[in-house]
Amino acid sequence: MNHGRLRFVTGFLAVPVALYLIYVIAPYAQAFYIALTDWRGVTASPAFVGLENFRRLFADDVFWTAVGHNLLLLILMPLLTVGIALFFAFLLNAGGRGGAAGVWGSKFYRVVFFFPQVLAVAVVAVLFQQVFRPDRSGMLNAPLIALGFEPVGFLSDTGVALWSILGVLVWQAVGFYVVLFSAGIASIPRDLFEAAAIDGAGGAQLFFRITLPLLWDTIQVGWVYLGIAALDVFAVVWVMTAEHGGPDHSTTVMAAEIYRTAFQYFKFGYASAMGVVLFFFTIGFAALALRLSRRERIEF
Amino acid sequence: MASIVLRNVDKIYAGGVKAVNSINLEIKDGEFMVLVGPSGCGKSTALRMIAGLEDISGGEIIIGDRVVNHLPPKDRDIAMVFQNYALYPHMTVEENLAFGLKLRKMPKAEISKRVNEAAKMLGLEQYLKRKPAALSGGQRQRVAMGRAIVREPQAFLMDEPLSNLDAKLRVSMRASLNTLHERLGVTTVYVTHDQVEAMTLGDRVCVLRDGLLQQVDTPQNLFDNPVNLFVAGFMGSPSMNFVNAELVRGDGGASVAFAGFNLPVPQETFTEKPGLDQYIGKKLILGIRPSDFDDAVIANGHAGGWARLPVRAEVTEELGSEINVLFLIDAPPVQHQDTVAAADAGDDEEAALPLVGDKSLWTARVNSRSHVRPGQNIELVVDTHNLHFFDPTSGLAVGHPANARV
Repeated sequence: MNHGRLRFVTGFLAVPVALYLIYVIAPYAQAFYIALTDWRGVTASPAFVGLENFRRLFADDVFWTAVGHNLLLLILMPLLTVGIALFFAFLLNAGGRGGAAGVWGSKFYRVVFFFPQVLAVAVVAVLFQQVFRPDRSGMLNAPLIALGFEPVGFLSDTGVALWSILGVLVWQAVGFYVVLFSAGIASIPRDLFEAAAIDGAGGAQLFFRITLPLLWDTIQVGWVYLGIAALDVFAVVWVMTAEHGGPDHSTTVMAAEIYRTAFQYFKFGYASAMGVVLFFFTIGFAALALRLSRRERIEF
Repeated sequence: MASIVLRNVDKIYAGGVKAVNSINLEIKDGEFMVLVGPSGCGKSTALRMIAGLEDISGGEIIIGDRVVNHLPPKDRDIAMVFQNYALYPHMTVEENLAFGLKLRKMPKAEISKRVNEAAKMLGLEQYLKRKPAALSGGQRQRVAMGRAIVREPQAFLMDEPLSNLDAKLRVSMRASLNTLHERLGVTTVYVTHDQVEAMTLGDRVCVLRDGLLQQVDTPQNLFDNPVNLFVAGFMGSPSMNFVNAELVRGDGGASVAFAGFNLPVPQETFTEKPGLDQYIGKKLILGIRPSDFDDAVIANGHAGGWARLPVRAEVTEELGSEINVLFLIDAPPVQHQDTVAAADAGDDEEAALPLVGDKSLWTARVNSRSHVRPGQNIELVVDTHNLHFFDPTSGLAVGHPANARV
């Protein structure tokens, strides 16, 4: 590149990079700094305490319970969401006759599956609060009561609450990934499905031998996004559960603890320290996921 | 190996569009049948119905001795070669070839044997461990054929497999296909829009148009005795020349008059084409193949009985071994739906060039020794034993046995 060109490119990049540095990178740096202080939002110049916050964090049981919950969601949410979304996307695109068309009504299903994504998270949380009600008005408990069973405390039973959270998260996320995977499957040339059908592949074989390998790149991307979303869960927990973190800390997550520590207890320094830990978890996860699933690009 | 019979097969799409209209076709066991026709004539649809990739709206398809209308593709014991090869991109060549066999739970030893045999037959041994993306077009095509061969099916179905290859490769692959067919003897149905492929590959060729079967015959018969204007104009390149003419009987015998020319029609023609005498004094459409012309000077020793035609060469196309001489004759171009459709399926506008005006542009194929140049006057000779006559309204060939009852 000659000098003129270099200056031209730098000139154009200067503003976006500056904006990015000021509004994205700088807050990260600030958070790292605040994590090393004991700032309670009152003093103008907080006192430096070094790694004291992190030492306390290490011994904080509630925080580590939250981390445990996040890890559980991290493992299960992408798995369930991708699994169900793949299954639906396959049915909608290649589950019909000859392996080249969708089941009857695909267009309708495609729209309906996407509805949960359209709702705001808080709305979903409130909705499911009602769905999970432990009396005759609760959508899930009403049939149980009618059949003579004891109602299940979806949000009040410490053993069940986290699974309810998982259920809501998956419910909302599936629709988007159905659309994403549908697009991926649509980009697979139709000939391939026809050739496989002629070769003798039935529905399951078509899915595992053709669709899945060819969708791998898209699935990888989806997996990373869902993993990061699992680490960042907040709204559903905060709005839907009792005590903002479930009966007796059974549904708390890192983001909820950060919010509580910062905006209810006003311990900004300590909350920032939690934020730093979350940051490293997320980066670590993304790096790991991309490294493990790296493969040659497939060309059609 | 098996015969394939299509009986009154229809394909109707939503909206009433008949892509395939009551086709009756019998493909003999071990035959190489080519389905040829312009775009949209229903040949690919017919092939896909045989394969089971499209539903059959009416009629029956029988493979071997079974009616297969409701059988899914995998139960019909057929193998298909696609235009875009449809190779599995995430599998190696070896896995591509073995896929169908693995799905049918064949023992590993047998799979290995078949794959290696096919690879040897097609020259693919050194590519077995590669993925399709690392192969050239011709190699991919061979893998696609290999995938069909290892299955040892009752019939091969090929959907324009050579269309995506360059010209030279196409010629060599045609030869390979011929050898393969000699060697394996499997019933093959081959779809193409290229009539040269049709002529060189087919035992018999089926010409389709707008979903209707026009003619099924050996390539030579299609060329020599087309049943209607469409087949006459479609087969052969450059295509047959047409003109509106009048058949007259004078003292010296019958002749056909057009554009100021008068070509004598030999008596044998009236015997060969029964019903031609009914057109005496009437108008009909005359067809002359470019290859039935020659340069009078070159043909001097062999032109006994050939009529002479002095013309002015407007354009010459020098092909090395021969020259296409394009000349104008003073008659308006033939406006029949069959000729327009055969000539150019692309435009909806006039098929004639704007500069030509109200004249027809004819093509003659002469020996390159003629050295004729554009703008030169040249005397052509015509083999009047090979004149073709068509009814001006129906477009049917006069005297063709298939049109006898019309």
